[in-house]
Amino acid sequence: MSTPKPPRWARLLLRQLHPDNTIEEVEGDLDELFEHWYRRAGKTQATLRYIHNVISVLPPFVKRRQSKTTYHQPFFLNPDMIKNYIKIAWRNIVRQKAYSALNIAGLSIGMACSILILLWVRNELSYDRFHANADQLFRLTCNAGDFRAAVTPAGMASGLQAQMPQIEASVRTSKSVTSLFEAGEKKFEEKRVLFVDSNFLQIFSFPLLKGEIRTALSNPGKLLITEEMAKKYYGTQDPIGKVIRRNNQENFTIAGVLANTPSNSHLQFDFLIPMSTLARYDNDLKTGTWGNFNFYTYFKINKNTNTTTAGLNALGEQIYKLYKAHGQVMKVDFHLQPLTAIHLHSDLQIDVPGHGNMQYVNIFFVVAIFILAVACINFMNLATARSERRAKEVGLRKVVGAGRYQLIAQFLGESLIFSFLSLFIAVGIVYLLLPVFEMLTEKALNIQLLDGRLLLSLAGIAVLTGLISGSYPALFLSGFAPVKVLKGKLRMAGANLYFRNGLVVTQFVVAIVLLVGTAIVYKQLNFIKDRNLGFDKSNLLYLPMTGELWGKKQALKTALAQSPLTENFSIISDLPTALTSGTVDLEWDGQVTKNEVVVPSMDVDENFVSVFKTTLLAGRGFSREFSGDSSSYVINEKAMQIMGMNVNNAVGKSITFSESRGTIVGVVKNFHFKSLQYAVEPLILRLNRWGGVVIVRTQGGTNEATITKLGEINRQLNPAYPFTYGFLDKDLDNLYRSEQQMGNIFNLFAGLAIFISCLGLYGLSAFMAEQRKKEIGVRKVLGATVAGVVTLLSRDFLKLIAIAIVLASPIAWYAMDRWLADFAYQTTIDWWIFALAGLTAAAIALLTVSFQSIKAALMNPVKSLQSE
Amino acid sequence: MRRTYLGEFEELVLMMIAILDGQAYGVTVSQEIEQHTGRAVTFGAVHNTLIRLEEKGFVSSELGGATTERGGRRKRLFKVTNLGSNALRDIQQLRNKLWQMMPDHALNMSGI
Repeated sequence: MSTPKPPRWARLLLRQLHPDNTIEEVEGDLDELFEHWYRRAGKTQATLRYIHNVISVLPPFVKRRQSKTTYHQPFFLNPDMIKNYIKIAWRNIVRQKAYSALNIAGLSIGMACSILILLWVRNELSYDRFHANADQLFRLTCNAGDFRAAVTPAGMASGLQAQMPQIEASVRTSKSVTSLFEAGEKKFEEKRVLFVDSNFLQIFSFPLLKGEIRTALSNPGKLLITEEMAKKYYGTQDPIGKVIRRNNQENFTIAGVLANTPSNSHLQFDFLIPMSTLARYDNDLKTGTWGNFNFYTYFKINKNTNTTTAGLNALGEQIYKLYKAHGQVMKVDFHLQPLTAIHLHSDLQIDVPGHGNMQYVNIFFVVAIFILAVACINFMNLATARSERRAKEVGLRKVVGAGRYQLIAQFLGESLIFSFLSLFIAVGIVYLLLPVFEMLTEKALNIQLLDGRLLLSLAGIAVLTGLISGSYPALFLSGFAPVKVLKGKLRMAGANLYFRNGLVVTQFVVAIVLLVGTAIVYKQLNFIKDRNLGFDKSNLLYLPMTGELWGKKQALKTALAQSPLTENFSIISDLPTALTSGTVDLEWDGQVTKNEVVVPSMDVDENFVSVFKTTLLAGRGFSREFSGDSSSYVINEKAMQIMGMNVNNAVGKSITFSESRGTIVGVVKNFHFKSLQYAVEPLILRLNRWGGVVIVRTQGGTNEATITKLGEINRQLNPAYPFTYGFLDKDLDNLYRSEQQMGNIFNLFAGLAIFISCLGLYGLSAFMAEQRKKEIGVRKVLGATVAGVVTLLSRDFLKLIAIAIVLASPIAWYAMDRWLADFAYQTTIDWWIFALAGLTAAAIALLTVSFQSIKAALMNPVKSLQSE
Repeated sequence: MRRTYLGEFEELVLMMIAILDGQAYGVTVSQEIEQHTGRAVTFGAVHNTLIRLEEKGFVSSELGGATTERGGRRKRLFKVTNLGSNALRDIQQLRNKLWQMMPDHALNMSGI
């Protein structure tokens, strides 16, 4: 007897209605049970129970077994997968050479720029941080009204230290002195000579290679030289104990050799001479004056002292009280300036030369980030533009089971590979460009790849660049719905286009801002150069009076007057550019309150007005015909205004300047004797009775001959000293060195930013042209002209650039307005600069785009249409 | 640790699976319950409970190899997981504790 079967209709019902994924087991189980019931209770019972049980497993009674959709998937950072990502990325790079080259070129140039800028920024920020006690060291500075200076009187260092417990130690240095040194046959004029207190090396951490730190500067007859100087004067010999002669009169023994001054120190020197040497003949030091501001004073402040801004201000006030208690009447605000702030935050007069500017550091840091951003944007842009091509790959990967994270990892991996490749190239570019960049910035920057921190920050830049530039493509591409992609053409959403356009606009905003910046920096520099200084600065040659020239003044004058080349000369106490001291000690008739304006003075001779070609507003210049001129004064307009006089009544008035009474004989028109960052200051001219610098106005074109002649005179009268000379206009230009540098650097980076943007534009336009290949084909077949097609393809980009110009203009205006605010005399920011910058950017962009558009327009339509 | 929520019938089925030790599937579980408790359960109730127990992680299942006896249809065999055996043990302990806490006279039906 065959086994009985449950009713067919019930089984069919079961098969139809029971959930698919459990039907097999349930059907089997029910069959078994049917058999069981059949054996126990017969067919009818079994059939009834079977039907009852079938119903209990039909919807809605049955519970559905959740299908397990999660099948095994490797972790997305599985080494095998990473290997796969790298392989795919590499294949992509190699397969699309033009695209990869564009990307890598853009990224690596961008990175190279930012590395260069960051090297420079790092160097600027590292100033004076190498001192072991850097955070405890402060420099005493003073403000007298508008005159803010870095110098302080000689007596204050020890005086304040004795009265203020916060001051642990004090050290003074002199201004840089130029001296002639002679050792054996070797004889050179050295500009970087400092007189310093004996504890200089204990407070500052300048390493002493040979010698004893404690005693090195304690003996007035001994001095220290740097390694470089040791080599220059003694070659390979040991310089210790050797005798070196200064200014043909003093012999020093060399007590030690210092390491060369680090380039990131605001104090730069080649020779250190003990202050006690200078104290033998310097009046300030002899008397320990609190009145003449001639030395740099540094304090080491106790660790427990409050050195916040408020704390420093309180110390400054305390110092002023002590200063007043010491019998001084002048109103001077004292400040303690942190050592590490000297380089970047100092805008003081009479300061050590070669200062940086925090503003520039900030500007360039931002520029570095912007350039990197432009490069990243490029990458994103090209990647999103090409996303259609890769959409199929994404779809397929998803179909065979790739998760979103895997795709994101893959795309980020790809961009990381790009960015690290670019980093290698960038480092190469940096190596190549570093000498040029060093020349541009006049800085010794070095890149040592074995430096762990540098390597780390470079890797950081690469990772950051990779992640940022890969983020959009990764997130965008990984989000494709596989079915849509594989079914047919994926229509790019409008949002994607907007995003891409936004990126292009951003790029050009950056580029245009940089362009406008460059233009305005140049305009300002030209403005300064062309500004009428109040005297004629061209063809002014100068010869500092050194050595024996002082004693042979009359012979010098005679010699100069003899030659037609040099006869137009004047002897003045100091170059206008070097005029750094002044006094408030000025009294005049009818004065109400005590003068608190610092008034510099210059001693000039009778020829001054004619040689400098300044204008006399009233009275006369000094003259040989008036024997009493040694007690006469010539003042400038500004001094006249300060004293409340006018052109008509100034001449003939008596004033007392530096405690000597005299009469005003003339008023000269204001002339700029300082950098144009400062407004004209009052100036008092006195008759020069001692010497200083010979200034010769050469006739145009005879400079060479005049220099030769001066050299000859120097050789005859001053054989012990080498001949040095200079041009005043060059010195004046040097005052704007940092602005000039900034202009050059700006120029370079603006150019590069535009270049990188254009690389991106080039890629983008190539892509667009290719995408519209068929459209162009159809258009051409229907009779479109080449020009029409080019316009069609370029128009969209031009619109974007127009938007960029509109956005960039206010930003650039704001930034440059702030920069110009630093100058007392500013050029105007004209609208045409923005127009010019915009036009330049548009023209360059158009040129870039047109290459691709013309190529597309010239293509044979048959080719592009054939494939369909 | 997650608290154990197990219904009365679920507990019964889970214990049956443990008792059957590898031989538990829809048929055997139904038959055992019927045999030991005397109550007639529908297959649907057993089937649903098995699925729910698996969702809760107390049992795991595997399709057995095909045999000729069921017309080539495979059985789904159930096994108690660690979580399931812990749950059973927890329930037993709780019951024991509660029994011990119960006063002796509590179950004397003296009130009637």
